[in-house]
Amino acid sequence: MRGLGRYVSLFGLQLRTSGLLAAQYRWDFLIDGALSVFSAAAALVPLFVVYADERRGIPGWSFEESLVVIGCFLLLQAILEGAINPGLVAVIEHIRKGTLDFVLLKPADAQFLVSTSRFQLWRVAGLVNASIVFTFAFTRLGRWPSAVGVLQMAVLVAAAVWILYSLWIVIVSAAFYVVKIDNLTYLFTSLFDLARWPVTVFRGALRVVFTVLLPLGLMTTYPAEALLGRLDWPTLVASVLGAGLFAAAARAVWLRSIRHYTSAGG
Amino acid sequence: MIRVRGLKKHYRVHKRPPGAAAALKALFRRDWQTVKAVDGIDFELGAGECVGFLGPNGAGKTTTLKTLAGLLHPSEGEVRVDGHEPQRRESAFLEKIMLVMGQKQQLLWDLPPAETFELNRAIYDVPKDVYRRRLDELVTLLALGELVNKPTRQLSLGERMKCELVAALVHGPKVLFLDEPTIGLDVSMQVAMRDFIRRYNQQTGATILLTSHYMDDVEALCPRVVVIDKGRLSFDGTLASLVQQVKPEKRLTLRFASPTTRAQVEALGTVVKFSAAESELQIPAAQVSAVVAKALGTLPVRDLNVENAPLEEVMSELFARTAADTRSTEAVR
Repeated sequence: MRGLGRYVSLFGLQLRTSGLLAAQYRWDFLIDGALSVFSAAAALVPLFVVYADERRGIPGWSFEESLVVIGCFLLLQAILEGAINPGLVAVIEHIRKGTLDFVLLKPADAQFLVSTSRFQLWRVAGLVNASIVFTFAFTRLGRWPSAVGVLQMAVLVAAAVWILYSLWIVIVSAAFYVVKIDNLTYLFTSLFDLARWPVTVFRGALRVVFTVLLPLGLMTTYPAEALLGRLDWPTLVASVLGAGLFAAAARAVWLRSIRHYTSAGG
Repeated sequence: MIRVRGLKKHYRVHKRPPGAAAALKALFRRDWQTVKAVDGIDFELGAGECVGFLGPNGAGKTTTLKTLAGLLHPSEGEVRVDGHEPQRRESAFLEKIMLVMGQKQQLLWDLPPAETFELNRAIYDVPKDVYRRRLDELVTLLALGELVNKPTRQLSLGERMKCELVAALVHGPKVLFLDEPTIGLDVSMQVAMRDFIRRYNQQTGATILLTSHYMDDVEALCPRVVVIDKGRLSFDGTLASLVQQVKPEKRLTLRFASPTTRAQVEALGTVVKFSAAESELQIPAAQVSAVVAKALGTLPVRDLNVENAPLEEVMSELFARTAADTRSTEAVR
């Protein structure tokens, strides 16, 4: 990679372009806002159902603590849909139409260019929903997260974003080999929806899958535990290292895949 | 500037006959075949040359251009562009080249082209003062004016293509690969694009490799042509020698002061087109003076014109010969 400063300014310019596009479609703000409220409500309803009967619930997690997990889920969902999905979904279309040519012809890192090519800025509404859920949960708990807890949570959310991004890069890379990967993206979105539950609801093999292969625990449960002040440091370190591994693997897959680009059309 | 040695690009694609049964069978067992998009070609381009790269559809033109631009990895052979190996996609290489494709666009659809230009400026790290000067020149040369500030989706095809050229040239590439840059444009826009490409070549000394199905583009821009057919080179030389080699006969157009019969015209040579007021003949180059003298002496000629056969005819003759050669080679095997 050439000078970091150049990439920072490129990132700013790509963000500005997305801002200009967002300003062109002002109605998207209202639609996205309404959708995010609906999506937050959809995320909360199952929790109310589970905790409606006092004898049920998720072992080790009170209603309020589970709400913190949902808050983390909404936060990650906003980042995924606002910053990760738009650019990478566009790549699949670029590969299909052969317009990825223009990205690969540029003297800048192709993975960087496609990843920052588009942001759905109105999805920031999802962050407001997450804040409301956090405030409601901690008000009912009668205590607030410590500074260390918030810091740990910030680090874990960054690691989770990196893992989500890396998984997306691997999925997008599949488009270099098979033309239609829509089903894979739906599967990924459906699996991500499971991150609204504390990882302890899964048992046996599923628990292993959702901790190691698709680390849902790392994405929402661990950040929630950090905010609740009960995360141990080794888990935090392991999560950051795991995120690093995912990122390195995704980079290797991407670099290998672009060699298979056949540039459709013409 | 450009050197291609023994370039091959082969693809392995699966082959499936039509029909439901074949589709079902293909789910379990696939038959594969190798498509030889480019099958061992050699050519060189010197700095500042503008060369036409011609061939019928599916001949391997675009595959070669994409390989030269570093988008595709060669299956075999060696490719060098200004000393670089394109498939390595080094920044120093990518900063020097550009591939313009008439059928694909890089402009941001919902924003004015000026936004794409600015993005490219940042990506290519072009200093702002150089960028402004270059952009002013390009916008003036292409007579774009305020169009660069209108959303791309509101521009006509021709206006968009001009803006695509600007987007492709903001970094001042030394090597330009143009793949059908005038496709779909009306005649006046084609002329404007040709003028622009010629001026860019003359003013910047850029090396240009151009593919086009419009022979007018080639005649106007390329003193030299390289012809590819079925992945192999079938000609490399000047346009004049291509015509001389493939269709050396001249075209004699005669316009008459009074109606003439077909038999009178046929007495002079092979008739290509006939009407009582105007006829076109094909005659051997060596007999031009004799035939013209005879026409002036025997027919009521008002005006006449001698020229080479149209390039379209030359090319189709060449492609037909290559196809016949391939068939006879396969028959011998």
